[in-house]
Amino acid sequence: MFINYLKIALRNLWKNKGYSFLNIFGLAIGICCAALIFLWVEDEVNYNSNFADSNLIYTIPSNQKYDGQWRTFTQATPGPLAAELKESVPGIEHSAKTWQSDFLLNANDKSVNKSGWYVDPEYLDIFKLEFVEGNANNALTDVKSIVITQTLANQIFGKNVPALGQSIRLNDAEEFKVTGVVEDLPNNVTFGFECLVPFRNFELENPWTKEYGANFATTFVKLSPTANFETVNQGVRDFVMDKFEEDDTVFFLHAMKDWRLRDNFENGEQAGGRIQYVKLFIIIALFILLIASINFMNLATARSEKRANEVGVRKALGSDKRSLIYQFITESVMTTLIAGLLGVALIAILLPQFNMLIEKQLIMGWDDPLHLLGLFTITLSLGILAGLYPAFYLSSFNPVEVMKGMKTTSRSANLIRKGLVIGQFVISIVFIISAFTVYEQIQYVKSRELGYNKENLLRIPVKGDIVKNFSPIKQDLLATHTVNHMALSNSKILNAGNNGSGLTWKGGIDTEDILISYRYVSNGFFETVGITLKEGRNFSSTIAKDSSSAIISESFAKLMGDDSAIGKTINRWGDSYTVTGVAEDYLYGDMYGTSDPVMFINNHSEARYLYMRVDSTADLNAAINQIEETLAKYNPAFPPEYEFVDSSFNAKFQSENLVGKLSQVFALLAVIISCLGLFGLSAYTAEQRKKEIGVRKVLGSSVVNIVKLLSADFLKLVMIAMIIAIPAGYFLMNNWLQDFAYRIDINYWTFFIAAAMAQVIALATVSFQAIKAAIANPVTSLRTE
Amino acid sequence: MIKITDLEKYYATEEVRTIALNKLSFSVKTGEFVAVMGPSGCGKSTLLNILGLLDDPDGGSFMFNDIEVSGFNERKRAELRKHNIGFVFQSFNLIDELTVFENVELPLIYTGVKSAERKERVDAVLEKMQIMHRRKHFPQQLSGGQQQRVAVARAVVNNPKLILADEPTGNLDSSNGNEVMGLLTELNEAGTTIIMVTHSEHDAKYSHRIIRMLDGQKVTENILADFKSSERPLTTEGGTLTPAEVK
Repeated sequence: MFINYLKIALRNLWKNKGYSFLNIFGLAIGICCAALIFLWVEDEVNYNSNFADSNLIYTIPSNQKYDGQWRTFTQATPGPLAAELKESVPGIEHSAKTWQSDFLLNANDKSVNKSGWYVDPEYLDIFKLEFVEGNANNALTDVKSIVITQTLANQIFGKNVPALGQSIRLNDAEEFKVTGVVEDLPNNVTFGFECLVPFRNFELENPWTKEYGANFATTFVKLSPTANFETVNQGVRDFVMDKFEEDDTVFFLHAMKDWRLRDNFENGEQAGGRIQYVKLFIIIALFILLIASINFMNLATARSEKRANEVGVRKALGSDKRSLIYQFITESVMTTLIAGLLGVALIAILLPQFNMLIEKQLIMGWDDPLHLLGLFTITLSLGILAGLYPAFYLSSFNPVEVMKGMKTTSRSANLIRKGLVIGQFVISIVFIISAFTVYEQIQYVKSRELGYNKENLLRIPVKGDIVKNFSPIKQDLLATHTVNHMALSNSKILNAGNNGSGLTWKGGIDTEDILISYRYVSNGFFETVGITLKEGRNFSSTIAKDSSSAIISESFAKLMGDDSAIGKTINRWGDSYTVTGVAEDYLYGDMYGTSDPVMFINNHSEARYLYMRVDSTADLNAAINQIEETLAKYNPAFPPEYEFVDSSFNAKFQSENLVGKLSQVFALLAVIISCLGLFGLSAYTAEQRKKEIGVRKVLGSSVVNIVKLLSADFLKLVMIAMIIAIPAGYFLMNNWLQDFAYRIDINYWTFFIAAAMAQVIALATVSFQAIKAAIANPVTSLRTE
Repeated sequence: MIKITDLEKYYATEEVRTIALNKLSFSVKTGEFVAVMGPSGCGKSTLLNILGLLDDPDGGSFMFNDIEVSGFNERKRAELRKHNIGFVFQSFNLIDELTVFENVELPLIYTGVKSAERKERVDAVLEKMQIMHRRKHFPQQLSGGQQQRVAVARAVVNNPKLILADEPTGNLDSSNGNEVMGLLTELNEAGTTIIMVTHSEHDAKYSHRIIRMLDGQKVTENILADFKSSERPLTTEGGTLTPAEVK
C-alpha cells in the first residue's frame, strides 16, 4: 500500500512540475531558514555548556544602591571578596578573583598581542580545562607561570613542539614559564582567553586591588555538588564584608547558563537579555515554516478537482477515509522530504553568508545526530502540518459526486484558502513593518547626539613606553599634520566604569549615594575627543599645579547648585579639587539611557588609552602608517594597536544590528514564500477560468479588464491582510520599543510603505498570470473545453 | 442476495427538493443478472450508488444478504464493499497515475492480499481479459475498449459476489461494447450477481430480468430468461461474514 502511495505521489509531482516546483521550493526555503535559525539558537543556548560542572559555576555580581535605585554590576567586585566568600558561605567549594587584560607575549623571536586573564590558582578548580601539556594541579602555583591555549602554543613555538617549560616574556617586562597548554575554548563561551597568568602578578603591580573599596574583579565561584543553590545564594546575599560599613551593596550568584542569555538587570532583579531574541527568532522560524506550509495546503486544496476522481475510485474500491488521509499525508511528507533535500543544499550554500551576517562561525555538523534528527523532525512535522488539512479535505469527498464530475470546490474550502492567504500576508506585512521599524530605531540611536565626535577618533591601548614618551609622540605626529590633537585617558570614552560615590562639597545636596564617573585625562583631552566646554577653562599644560583642578560635566554642576560651579571645591576621599570648568554632558555606557555625572581630573599617571584626532582631510591609510611608524619608534617592544571609536561604537549595537539584519532577511523570505504561493494560486485560477476568459474576450473584453478581473480577488485579500497587519505590527513594535529608554515614535508612514510594498509585490505576482491568461488566444481555450 | 423495500432518496438544493427514489422495492437473487433501465434522471444511478454502498438512503430498508445495511457508517460500508462488490463505470474511472497492473491491483491492496498473491491474481485476470500485454501501460495509452476491459478486470479481481455496472458500454463502439457484455455474461455464468444500469435495449437483453424505472419508481419488470437461484454466503477475507460480525 505504502509503495502504491509513493508511486502516486511521485507521478503526481512529476506530472505537475510547475506546481511541484512552487511547493518544493517554498518549503525548501522555509526549511533552510528554520534550520539556520535553529543553528543560531543552538549556539546561543549552548553558550558555556562545554565546561564540566557548568551547573555549579557562578559569577558574583553586585547590586549597589545609588539614589534609591539598585544598580547591578556584573564584573565589579572587590579583590578580597573571593576568598572571604569561600571562607564564610558554606557550599562554596572554590572561588577565584580574576581580571581580564591584554598581554604582549614575546618568545621564540615572535611577538603577539593576546587577550587573557589574571586569575587565582583556584580558577583551574572552577573551570576544568583540558590540559594538553602540564596539569591543572600545579599550573598556576608559581607566580611567574603562564597557561596558554593550543593555538597560541602552535603560533609561538610551532606545531608538535613541546611548549611546556618554555619561556615567554610578558608585556616586555618579565619572563614567565609555560606550565600548561590547554585545548582551545570553543567560540561560544562568555569569558574566553588565550592565556592565563596568576592574579598575584596583577596584585603586585596594583596594590589597590587588595583594598575593599575598589570594585574591579570578576569573581567566580563553584558550589559543591551537594550544595543547595537557594541556601548558598541567600548566604551570599546576606554576606557583608567586614570592612563594609553600610549594607548598600548586595552580592548574589549569577549562574553560568545565564551569563549569555540573561544578563540584564533592572533594579537589582534579573530581567532577561538575549534570551528575548532567541525566543523571538524561534517564533519567526515557526512563522516562516507556517507560511511555507500554507502554500502547500492552498495549492493542494485548490487543485483538488484533479485528485477528486481518484478519491472517488479509491473509495468505490473499498478504501476508507483513514487510508486516504494516510495516503495524502504520505504525499505531503514526501514533498517535504524532497524539499528537505533541497533545503540541505540551500543550507550548504547559504551558511557562509549567514555566518557573515550574524558574525559567527556556525557549522552544519552533519555528524551530529541531534542535527540530523532536528532537520528530520522539522521536515516531518512540516509535512504533517502541510498535509493534514488537504488530507482531511480531499478524503471527505463523496465518491458519488466526484465520479459524476460534480464541482468539488466547496465554499468553506474557498474561504479557508482565502483565510490562509490573508494569514500569510499578515505575517509578511508584520515582518516588513518590523524590519522597517527596527532599522529606524537603530539608525535613531546611532545618530543620537553623543556630545563628542566619534569620527576619525583613534584609540590606542597604552602599553610599554607610551606614557613616558607621550610628549615626543605628540610632537612628531602633530608636526605631520595628520593628527590634530591627542590625549591620554584612563577609560574608554564609550564605556561606563571607573566610578564611585561619597563626594562632598559645600552648599550642594547630599551626594553620598550618587554614582559619579571619574575620568583621569591629560590636557588636550577635550579638544581631542570633541567635548565642548560650557564654562570656565580647560586643563592647562602651562599651569603646573593643575592636578588639583577638576572639570565636571553639566549634570554634575547641576547637583552642586543652580549657580555657577566654577571655583567650588569638591572633596573626594580626603583630597580637594577646585572646579575650573564645566563640560557639556556626553553619552557613554548605556546608549539608550542617561549617563552618570562625570568628574575629569588632570592626571595621566594611570592612563590606559591614547586618543588621537586624525585630521579629517588626511588620507586615512597614510595617517595610520604615520602613526604606526611613530609608535614603533617610541615604543619598539610593542606592536602598534589601534581601534577607531566609531567602529567600537557600532559594535555596541551588536544585538540590535543582528535583529535589524535578520528581520530584513526574514521579511524578504516571508514575502518570497508567500508570493510563490500566490503565483501558484493565480496560475490555477487563470487555468480554471480559461473558458470564462475566452468567452469574455470573444464578447469584446479588453486585456486590461481581464487582468483586473483576475487580480482583483487576490488584491482584496492582501488588502484585508494589510488591515489586520497594521494594528498587529503597531502592537508588536510598540512593545519592542518599550525596552529602549531612547526610542523613536512609531512612524505611520512606515506602516503604509510596508503595506504598499506587499500590495505591489502581490500585484506583480498575480498580474503575471493574469496577463498571460488575458493575452491567450480565446479560440484555443474555447476549443479545448 | 439483495432486498430493498420502500427505498427513498432525496436531493435537496437551497430551493428545491428532488425525489430521486420514491419508495422503490425489489429484490435480486444470488447469481442473477438484472438490468435497470429508464430515462435520464429516473434514479438509476442513485439506486446503483446505494446498492454499491457508496451512498446512504434517506428512508426504507436495504438488506444485503439478510443484513440491514442502510444505517452503516462509512467504515463498515467500506469494509463490506471491498470484499463483496465490484464496480464497472461508464467513464472507466481508472486512476491516470497508475499503470494497468497497478489499477487492477488496487482492490487487492485494500483487502490486504499479500504482494506475491496479488501479482498472481492480477496476472491471471489480465490474462483472462486479454490485456496482459498492456500491463505496464498507463490508462491514457489505451483505447476505450481496452480501458473498460481493465476496469472490468479491476472489478472482478477480488472475486466479488456482486458487480454493479453503470452503463458499461456507454463510451464504447458496438464491437467493443459487445466484447464487454460478453465478459459480464461469462462472469455471471460463473456465479457472480450482476446489476447493470443501461440505456441500451441491446445490452439489456444479456440479462435475466429488466427493471424499468420512471421518476424514482419501478414501472414494469420483464423476465427474459429462466433463472435458478443458488445462494452463496457473503464473505470477508475468505471467511464467512455473519450478520453479527458486520454489525
